[in-house]
Amino acid sequence: MNCPLEVRENAAWLLDYASGKLDAAARAQMEEHMEGCPACREFAGGQQAVWQALEAWEPAPVSMDFDRRLYQRIERQVSWWSRLVRPFDPLFRHAVPVAAAAGVMCLAGLLMDRPAAKPAAPVEESAQVETLQPDQVQHAVDDMEMLRDLNSLVRADDAESKM
Amino acid sequence: MDERVKTDMGSLAAALDFDAELMLRVKEGDGASFGILLEKHRSPVIHFLYRMVQNQAVAEELAQEVFLRVYRSRESYEPTAKFTTWLFRIATHLALNSLRDGRNRRLEERLDDDSADAPVRQVSDRRPSVEEEMVHRARLDEVRRAVAMLPEKQRAAVLMHKYQEMEYSQIAKVLNCSESAVKSLLFRAYETLRARLAHMA
Repeated sequence: MNCPLEVRENAAWLLDYASGKLDAAARAQMEEHMEGCPACREFAGGQQAVWQALEAWEPAPVSMDFDRRLYQRIERQVSWWSRLVRPFDPLFRHAVPVAAAAGVMCLAGLLMDRPAAKPAAPVEESAQVETLQPDQVQHAVDDMEMLRDLNSLVRADDAESKM
Repeated sequence: MDERVKTDMGSLAAALDFDAELMLRVKEGDGASFGILLEKHRSPVIHFLYRMVQNQAVAEELAQEVFLRVYRSRESYEPTAKFTTWLFRIATHLALNSLRDGRNRRLEERLDDDSADAPVRQVSDRRPSVEEEMVHRARLDEVRRAVAMLPEKQRAAVLMHKYQEMEYSQIAKVLNCSESAVKSLLFRAYETLRARLAHMA
């Protein structure tokens, strides 16, 4: 194998060897190389010493109230609206999509239920139809009958006067 | 979100790691999953930050900020990488900012003040003598000083490599650099540490 110290890309092999991360085959290969390479032997020895020294550095235990403080901070950041709706959160989560779907379906139903558009008609005629009420029609018919009766009376009077 | 996309994200998360899956549940509003993530990663994150800034109170404060950011980002979370890569990226970013802000300007003083943070070594069969305890503390101080004197990025790389047992590729993603750059960082960092600590063997 090429000397890891001469090929920069392979230098990580020495780090991995010293930290015990190499698999058995690679480890054996490295040990075989180190038998004839004092520089790599020295490097690996020094690296193992560093590894052991770092091993001794134990961190302090975490404060007992770490989680409590964190949740307090999280709680402070939650908006008043989120707090208000939180008890109903599961309800909202399921109800809102269902309500939205129902709304869409109702709207679709209404649109489908509307009668087909009539062919365009003269504006005046359409306005008349829309504004006339049944009692108005009845009055108009009554008026027409009254006029017809009046006409016939007038004609009868004319005939009598000519005679 | 479209159901198919959701399923794809879920399977991607599962392929990446269980933590990412938990984070997706947090995104859905599951607070218990956040609790599981906190329980699992609380100590590694605080220990990493402690070794970075070498002050327990500052480390815990930064760790609070890390988890707060994780919680705040839950709605925009996408499992594009391992959860721990994301988590340590936040932690490293905050630690580097803290160091640059000068909050640790008086690091040397605190190294002395903070020595009380270090746990007392437990020996199962007998208590260490006062002399042994002093030697242990002196060696520990030496290690702490040697690590503290490393440039910040080298320090972060060493701590992730040694204590979090991260692969080079993951460290590269955390530090936002190439894998070969990480190997180079580590090589130089360990070279410095060997010069300072090799005599401790």
